[in-house]
Amino acid sequence: MSALLTVENLSKRFGGLQAVADVSLSVTAGEICSVIGPNGAGKTTLFNMISGVLRPSGGRISFDGIDLATVSPWRFAAIGIGRTFQNLALFKHGTVVENILTGRHAHLRSTVLDAIIHFGRTRTEEIAARRHVERIIEFLEIEQIRDAVVGTLSYGQQKRVELARALACEPKLLLLDEMVSGMNQEETEDIARFVLDIRDELGITVLMIEHEMRIVMDISDRVHVLNFGRKIAEGTPAEIRNSPAVAEAYLGRQRADQAAGVSA
Amino acid sequence: MRTGDYKQSYGELVTLIDSPPVWLWSTVLVLALVVAPYVLNAYALSFLTIILITVVGALGLNILTGYTGLISLGHVGFLLTGAYGYAVLVSKYQLPPLVGFLGAGLVPAAASLIVGAPSLRLKGLYLAITTLAFSFIINTVILEMRWLTNGARGIAVQRPEIFGVSFESDAAFTHLCLATAILTLFATLNIRRSRVGRAFVAIRDNDTAARVMGINLHAYKLLAFVTSAFITGIAGALYGIYLSFVNVEGFPFLLSIEALAILIVGGLGSALGAVLGTVLIVLLPEATRLVFSLFSAQMDAMFTTGAQELKSMLYGLVIILFLRFQPRGLVGVWHDLKRTWVNWPLRY
Repeated sequence: MSALLTVENLSKRFGGLQAVADVSLSVTAGEICSVIGPNGAGKTTLFNMISGVLRPSGGRISFDGIDLATVSPWRFAAIGIGRTFQNLALFKHGTVVENILTGRHAHLRSTVLDAIIHFGRTRTEEIAARRHVERIIEFLEIEQIRDAVVGTLSYGQQKRVELARALACEPKLLLLDEMVSGMNQEETEDIARFVLDIRDELGITVLMIEHEMRIVMDISDRVHVLNFGRKIAEGTPAEIRNSPAVAEAYLGRQRADQAAGVSA
Repeated sequence: MRTGDYKQSYGELVTLIDSPPVWLWSTVLVLALVVAPYVLNAYALSFLTIILITVVGALGLNILTGYTGLISLGHVGFLLTGAYGYAVLVSKYQLPPLVGFLGAGLVPAAASLIVGAPSLRLKGLYLAITTLAFSFIINTVILEMRWLTNGARGIAVQRPEIFGVSFESDAAFTHLCLATAILTLFATLNIRRSRVGRAFVAIRDNDTAARVMGINLHAYKLLAFVTSAFITGIAGALYGIYLSFVNVEGFPFLLSIEALAILIVGGLGSALGAVLGTVLIVLLPEATRLVFSLFSAQMDAMFTTGAQELKSMLYGLVIILFLRFQPRGLVGVWHDLKRTWVNWPLRY
């Protein structure tokens, strides 16, 4: 399998703050990859660069053979990068269906004049889009809330709608930014199951930021660890669990030594 | 109590109006409006005409401010360029009225590209002030381009004749305004339920997420400006024809405020709201005058002499009252009533 996403020596500087420094990683098609690290490690900044929200200060991102520096940020959806946001970025006055339909934007073609006439091509296109949305609704089991206004839904439900909206883009790579934060056990397990289904049934590669270690260790194929903007480790969940560098980043040196002593 | 909401095909899910009663009552309303010019006296008919013209303008502003969330204080500039576009093409160059209406849309649309360009970077208050400045600049430009616009003297405009049908009489002209208003309403609703309308609303609600969904922010903000200006320009042309004379004094700055008041009172971001808001705002000064004239003739006289000042005070008052007590506007009231009616005697 070839690399779908390759990040080389990526950096982002905000004034005096080096948020991401010299990070390289690659994601193979069909993998579920996790990015972990303590708060402020630069994980979300990394995601923002991969999804076009921020431009890198240095380094290179190539996706599916395309150098992303040559692509306008709004085209990222069309070439196959979808994402969810850490702190919900839904269109909260719209219904669930409308939100997911908005996710279809990159796959629809009608112009404002087509839209005004709303006949023939536009109508066919809208019906097809609606049908696609219905499939996603069924996939994520949100039939009950499809006509609800998003602003009235619970946090867990809104997260799921955001996932649905990202899936409506039909991405090749799905970036999930802390999907399960603030969710209870049951909701977390649902999401873990959906992430596996997304990879297995829809064939979408997943890169996720996650603080919830159980889900990271259970479903990731590879884990990348950031600390203070730098990558400090990479490997399978088992390798990461036993890495002294990772333990040190999370627990501090002294505690990490103690933990190593206990397990040894 | 009506129950259930059963759809048998995806086509039914994307239709504009899915309920037979809504179709029925809309048709009844349209028929009533078609008959109205023959029934109403000249005074009442002038209000109907103004409402229909204002609906077109309000729907135009709704696309920009209601859907896309870009506040414009300069919409009178688009009304004005639209009216002049029509007047210059039809009265000065003797072109057919349909060409005039096309020009009335295209001239403001072109102007909107100029005022829209800064909007790609500006938001909220800064954009409002930019558009405000635009409307004053347009005023000056029109006054200075005497060779084209006759400066302060203005241009006289005849009622049009389209495809051999004369819209000379008041009744016929009202029908022209009615047809334009209905077409604009359908155009707006169709935009709203398509990819383009969803992109506008996405930009309003969350522009970062909108861009991640593949929406080109620059292109769609400009598109909102162009579409909005086109529709507003058509309203300007109709208003010019109604006044039978186009000059800058016929389009005071108060019209921009009136348009915003309509959207706030009706409910931002709703085409139905724009229509309801128009009816209320257009009739409000007259209704107030009637109420006060019941008390004394002196009050009545005050309304005649200080009409503009009282109008602006009234608009300010209703904006404050609606923002305080019913931020969702008349359309919110309408939805609440509808829910109560459907669920009665249960609360929900």
